[in-house]
Amino acid sequence: MISLIKTWKKLNEKGIMGINQRNADYILKYNNRRNYPFVDDKILTKQRAIAAGISVPELYGVIRTEHDISEFEEIVKNHDDFVIKPAQGSGGDGIIVIADRYDKDRYKTVSGKLMRHSEIEYQLSNIITGLYSLGGMRDSAIIEYRVKPDPIFKSISYEGVPDIRIIVLLGYPIMAMLRLPTRQSNGKANLHQGAIGVGVDLATGTTLNGSWFNEQIVRHPDTDNMVSNIQLPLWDKFIHLATSCYELVDLGYIGVDLVLDETKGPLILELNARPGLNIQIANDVGLAKRASVVEAHIAKLKQANKTETVEERIAFSIKHFSVLG
Amino acid sequence: MRSLTMHLKIAIIILFALGIAIIGYQIFVLKTPLTESEVDNLWTIDAKINFEVSGNKPVNIEFYIPPKSGDYSVSNELFLASGYGQNITSQKFNRLVTWSARSVSGQQTLFYRLNLTKRFSDEIENSEKGDLWRAPIAVAGPEKEAVERLVKDIRSKSANVSTFITTTINTINDSTNSDVQLLLNNKNSLENKVKAIELILSQAYIPIQQAHTLVLNQSTNQTPTLWIRSYIEANKSVDNRDSIVSGGNGSWYYFNPINGSVGLPADQVVWWVGSGNIINVENGSKVRVNFSLDKSELTAINLAKLTAEGSSLTEYSFYTLPISTQLAYQIMLLIPFGVLIILLLRNVIGINTLGTFTPVLVALAFRETGLAFGVVFFSIIVFFGLLLRSYLEHLKLQMLPRLSIVLTFVVLLIIFVGLFSHKLGFEQGLSISLFPMVILTMTIERLSITWEERGANFALKVAIGTLITASIAYMVMGYQPLIYLVFTFPAILLLLIAFMLAMGRYRGYRLLELFRFKAMLK
Repeated sequence: MISLIKTWKKLNEKGIMGINQRNADYILKYNNRRNYPFVDDKILTKQRAIAAGISVPELYGVIRTEHDISEFEEIVKNHDDFVIKPAQGSGGDGIIVIADRYDKDRYKTVSGKLMRHSEIEYQLSNIITGLYSLGGMRDSAIIEYRVKPDPIFKSISYEGVPDIRIIVLLGYPIMAMLRLPTRQSNGKANLHQGAIGVGVDLATGTTLNGSWFNEQIVRHPDTDNMVSNIQLPLWDKFIHLATSCYELVDLGYIGVDLVLDETKGPLILELNARPGLNIQIANDVGLAKRASVVEAHIAKLKQANKTETVEERIAFSIKHFSVLG
Repeated sequence: MRSLTMHLKIAIIILFALGIAIIGYQIFVLKTPLTESEVDNLWTIDAKINFEVSGNKPVNIEFYIPPKSGDYSVSNELFLASGYGQNITSQKFNRLVTWSARSVSGQQTLFYRLNLTKRFSDEIENSEKGDLWRAPIAVAGPEKEAVERLVKDIRSKSANVSTFITTTINTINDSTNSDVQLLLNNKNSLENKVKAIELILSQAYIPIQQAHTLVLNQSTNQTPTLWIRSYIEANKSVDNRDSIVSGGNGSWYYFNPINGSVGLPADQVVWWVGSGNIINVENGSKVRVNFSLDKSELTAINLAKLTAEGSSLTEYSFYTLPISTQLAYQIMLLIPFGVLIILLLRNVIGINTLGTFTPVLVALAFRETGLAFGVVFFSIIVFFGLLLRSYLEHLKLQMLPRLSIVLTFVVLLIIFVGLFSHKLGFEQGLSISLFPMVILTMTIERLSITWEERGANFALKVAIGTLITASIAYMVMGYQPLIYLVFTFPAILLLLIAFMLAMGRYRGYRLLELFRFKAMLK
């Protein structure tokens, strides 16, 4: 009991954010429910992003009804690889990534599994009936460009596409994490499915140590390579993309998921209005601690009746949240 | 955001204060018992009336019975007088029952039974005000002089009305005082003394009344004890002459005419007031009234039910509802406590459950099956339900038809398991009614969706979390003292809302998060 109270105090001192605090002090406070569809519905996110000139994976087509399923073939006619995902899914559920075609009727997923055309139609039907959507409502299936991960991640990634999650509070990036798929996560970059999270220094884009489930690690469990000290390319572009998402969806506390495509560079994959808390373990820093710095800064700006541009905000975050020399 | 917090604080305080006030009112004013097992005495007083009628005559009996408003409340009255017409009249301080019959003969026995309890009495006896002044009783000759001497003497020894009365009583009981002996005329009976006391006090314009009381102890042949009482305003001077009109802000003081002690003991109950006889029988002889008293211990809430008529406790409570409705309300009133458990387990401990309120529904289903059987039953059905679902996965069916099949299968399973357990001798198996079945099918549906979305591990974790929370909620919702408390003091739910409002802004760590983030403290 006493040790629990000690743990509580120490966590508090470190500024570690708990779920209750995240919900009460950040999500409820800064995220207007009215704007949730812009992040929950990936079609809306994409439309807004394209309008704002922010790079996202190209949309090949949308399937909204059972009847539309027959159009699937037409949509993917000119593409050998693509991704099918529910427009309102969460946590990476229900996503199929097709890497290649095998023969006329078969598709090959990234993990090498062969899928018949009928199986894909079944998955499309599941998505439309709302199996993966938040709250079980009817949904649409998106078919979009498959991101080809930059080879930089080869040494520390097992299959799949690593992505970068940046938490943006009121337009200020406060923490970043690289998410690496593992054998256990079946090539998916979702932490609760067993992917590892690696902290990223906001100022330089260099990786730090990582977390796997709720533990801190230094090596990738599949490749056994050190996960730290890797310089992410085009880091200023990543930070810039994530930071401008504040204006895009008008939500105060979001997690921005980005990928680095071999040819197209950094792309925004999706936004999350309720980002998870494991990013703290990966970075070994409390979110609340950093959030309070930003909140104090904004209060000061408000008094002076000033607002800052994207560049100014990035500069502020780099100045205050840099951990490497 | 700050203003909302202020707003929230005010709402919490209002709800909390309101809840406490209502509960306090019930406890301290209505005397509602705090626990179901709290016991109190219920006094049963039997008055047996015997008399003889010689020949064949019409008979009319007037018998005093206690007033309904007193320190003790009347929970039940019983009149046994077959062949007699009966009429109850309320007088200023008394109630009088009149029995009459056209022609009766021989030995007659009438019977009156009364149940009294101290709890739940309204204590409004004193609201019936008395006189503050009376005209002196005319007296002449040597007695007049004796009375005047006594009054003068007593007045010099007393400071106010109350001490005047005590001094009078003490003087009358002083056998060496010759003036007193003159007044009593060698008749030393209590009645005669009271008469002399009344005479003396009347000269000082102080009104008194006779009060006939019974002592509450278990006895078979008690005679009423005579007390006197007076309606006195505090601090009233002895000179009572000119205050004919008064605010009437006084209260009744009781005096023991034997020793002058003031105040009626708590175990005495006034049966009737005044100088009249307890009973008057027209055309009857050898009239006897025999009192026997007995007490029984009853749980306080049963007492409340008995005293329903005279007590405001039951008037506005759930206890006046039909029993079947009461049972339904008991279950309903406990649901918020189940929800509270879920709230605590989820937001403070951090246990994952299936949906938000499914565990409460499962807990309600357990009410019909019992806990142990319920858990086993739940596990078996959910296990087979999920097994079927994973088989259907291979058939590539659309979601809706697939779930319909699962639900139908669950119905079959429930019936099968029910019959099977019946054969094994578990009667609970057959107790599965519609309600638990609906809950089980819902649970399987949600669980299979979770399974599909988050994988088997997570689904198992959630299912176990749901079972644990449901079991705890079931035990809390079935805790008898709590059921009694909520049913008797529904205002507890206001406190609950206040607490839930406060929980709505709870931003501390969840217990399981302490372990989750422990790695960061190394």
